[in-house]
Amino acid sequence: MIGIIDYGSGNVQAIATIYKNLNIDYEIISNKSDLKKADKLILPGVGAFDATMQQLIDSGLRDELNDLVIRKKVPILGICVGLQVMGFGSDEGDFPGLGWIPGRVKKFNINKIESKPKLPHMGWNTIKDIQNHSLFKGIDNEFGFYFVHSFYFECESEDNILTTSNYGIDFTSAIYSDHIIGTQFHPEKSHGNGVLLFKNFAQL
Amino acid sequence: MLRSRIIPCLLIHNKGLVKTVNFKNPKYVGDPINAVKIFNEKEVDELIVLDIDATKENRGPNLKMIESLANECRMPFCYGGGITTVEEAVKIISLGAEKVALSYSALNNISLCQEIGNIIGNQSVVVVIDVKKKKIFGGYDIYTHNGTKKSNWKLNDFIAKLEEIGIGEIVINSIDNDGVMQGYDLPLIENIREKCSMPITVIGGAGSLQNIKDLISKFKIIGAAAGSLFVFKGKYKAVLISYPNREERKPIY
Amino acid sequence: MRDKVKICANCVMDTTDSKITFDQNGVCDHCNTFYSDILPKWHTDDRGDKALKKIVKKLKKEGEGKDFDCLMGMSGGIDSSYLLYIMVKKYGLRPLVFHVDAGWNSQIAVNNIERLVDGLDLDLYTEVINWEEMKDLQLAFFKSGVSHIDTPQDHSFFATMYKFASKHNIKHILTGGNYSTECVRNPLEWMYYQSDSIQLKDVYKKHGTGKLKEYPVTNILWHKIFLPYFKKIKLIRPLDFFPYNKIEAMKTLVDKFGYQEYPQKHFESRFTRFYESYWLPKKFGFDTRKVQYSSLILTNQMTREDALEKLKYPAYDPKIIHQDFEYIATKLGISVEELQSYMDAPNKTYKDYKSQDSIYNIGAKVMRFLGLEKGGKR
Repeated sequence: MIGIIDYGSGNVQAIATIYKNLNIDYEIISNKSDLKKADKLILPGVGAFDATMQQLIDSGLRDELNDLVIRKKVPILGICVGLQVMGFGSDEGDFPGLGWIPGRVKKFNINKIESKPKLPHMGWNTIKDIQNHSLFKGIDNEFGFYFVHSFYFECESEDNILTTSNYGIDFTSAIYSDHIIGTQFHPEKSHGNGVLLFKNFAQL
Repeated sequence: MLRSRIIPCLLIHNKGLVKTVNFKNPKYVGDPINAVKIFNEKEVDELIVLDIDATKENRGPNLKMIESLANECRMPFCYGGGITTVEEAVKIISLGAEKVALSYSALNNISLCQEIGNIIGNQSVVVVIDVKKKKIFGGYDIYTHNGTKKSNWKLNDFIAKLEEIGIGEIVINSIDNDGVMQGYDLPLIENIREKCSMPITVIGGAGSLQNIKDLISKFKIIGAAAGSLFVFKGKYKAVLISYPNREERKPIY
Repeated sequence: MRDKVKICANCVMDTTDSKITFDQNGVCDHCNTFYSDILPKWHTDDRGDKALKKIVKKLKKEGEGKDFDCLMGMSGGIDSSYLLYIMVKKYGLRPLVFHVDAGWNSQIAVNNIERLVDGLDLDLYTEVINWEEMKDLQLAFFKSGVSHIDTPQDHSFFATMYKFASKHNIKHILTGGNYSTECVRNPLEWMYYQSDSIQLKDVYKKHGTGKLKEYPVTNILWHKIFLPYFKKIKLIRPLDFFPYNKIEAMKTLVDKFGYQEYPQKHFESRFTRFYESYWLPKKFGFDTRKVQYSSLILTNQMTREDALEKLKYPAYDPKIIHQDFEYIATKLGISVEELQSYMDAPNKTYKDYKSQDSIYNIGAKVMRFLGLEKGGKR
């Protein structure tokens, strides 16, 4: 059963609808005590870093998640801010992150990018699947995924880079560490590619 | 690299979809839910749905309809029309929309943009600005209530203020070109774009995929929205939903 | 004790059509009607070709100097699409393509219409039925408990097209109706005459909530007698004049226009798909595939074994039917539970509501007697 974490951030309903239509068992979880029922977890997220971390703490989910993900190695997929909280922290705020994958979240420095792109980075962009990971099996990388963010994750180690994308500069668009995966883009808003990614995640 | 976005924009009037010309004479296009479902199956980049009655009728958004529409979208969905409070905006996001669009509310109370942005994130706040050319001396005026009331805000001042607050996107809607299908107002866009550091989407005038291509060629990365182009076909303006498929889009981007 | 279903020895119609009769060879009356009434008068050889060329010549002459020479109804389905292609490419006609949008178009249908119209460089005209009224009318039919709940769509298609032709004085309407895939008709018990406006109005009066102000209503006397005999507006079925093979037609359309195939007949409309593949069989035990396959068997496009094999499985996909069910409910503005309650309610028939069936009975007899119509519903 896929547990979609509802802590007040992210398009939980869209993910639920996708799993419902795939006939894959899922549950929307808002109580920390229900988290352990899931075989795999999804952590969506939209909005500011600090606000998101605050919500995770306030909902009581943070400690339980740490236990399940780090100690019990329950697979988890973080989306957008759900990915960003997996690092040590963000330039956007003051709160520390969950610290699951070494790295920090930085803002696109448009002054340093020749093409001076607009922020947020918003729209469809391609991904480069560095690791040839089965999460991206069958996916049309050129069609890509939908992004909307002004900050991105910078991994300390190259080993944690799952995919890269380009927005004036090359940046990390998905990260991973064994059973922990995060995507900066929104698979729940990326048509067929997204549906396939969710299906692949369930089958990993 | 990031692609431009090609965005169908649907107008809701009396619970049904309509298309206007210069914001007047709404022509009935049909059921919103089925139209959105078809656009979703055509894998459109994004979708904007605007309730054009809400502000005029002084009422809030139709939440049930928004939920039904959002449920059909596997792509970002932006809803606008009658949003005047933070609670409404938050509710709409929770029902599955990605973005909320403000028009009259933003002009009337610009701090609302900031308040909403603080809760749902600035990237999810869109401001739609309906503009009409001034009759003399050039420049544009902002209008509300379906192009019937002129706003006191000067266009450049308003954009500067939005820039200061920091919102997700500006949608510029040309009333003069609405439904005319003879191309976008490129000088208007050029003027605004240099003043904004946030993404811009333009609407009003697209009559062919070539118009969209020309827009993207000129501005490299921009949101190209259209209404008539994606719901009408041919000289009789037959209602038929269309949108270029993946292959047809490649040369446009 | 339930009687076992008896199947025709020749086609796959069976006793779920309660009025079916079998001869001493176990062959049903649908087949026999085909062999005795339709086949002898159905010519797709030189005779058909000659007759069609004569009609085309007339259309072209009357269309001289006008923007178009006929009206062609187009649903996006294979019959009307293939018809469009042949009449334009082979016979050189200049039709105005007419489409009625009742709110249920599938993406495939819309795409196919676009491809055909663009590929053949034709003009398209659409009428969009007022969705709020259509919704209420469809709900009324669900509440009524009858089996012919697709009447609102079907009725609107015909009414709109006839009204348009009448208004613009267009004398010739071409439709994709054909014997090749439709020589066996749905029994009345399954699908009562959708053009019966008395029935439609009575169902709406008893179960609708508002008024039908914009919904187009036709009636049998108007479009079967007044229009053809007084206004001289004729309906033509060109697909009956030459060999029409469904598989070959599909291949042609796919190759030439990038046409997308439908999983089953009538899947241009999401509602019709739900109705025929799920609602009708599940609630009433009527499977329209039997009618369609039987037609194909009689015209040698399908074997009886093949049909029986396909009929072993439900017409709907059990894995995704809940999505369709939910979509139908959402679009009609009701809950899934409410829709289910209509499914569970007692079954009614057209006789439970007012109708003009006596007129249809007389009319059908007269038409057959005069040789003006072959086969037809019963």
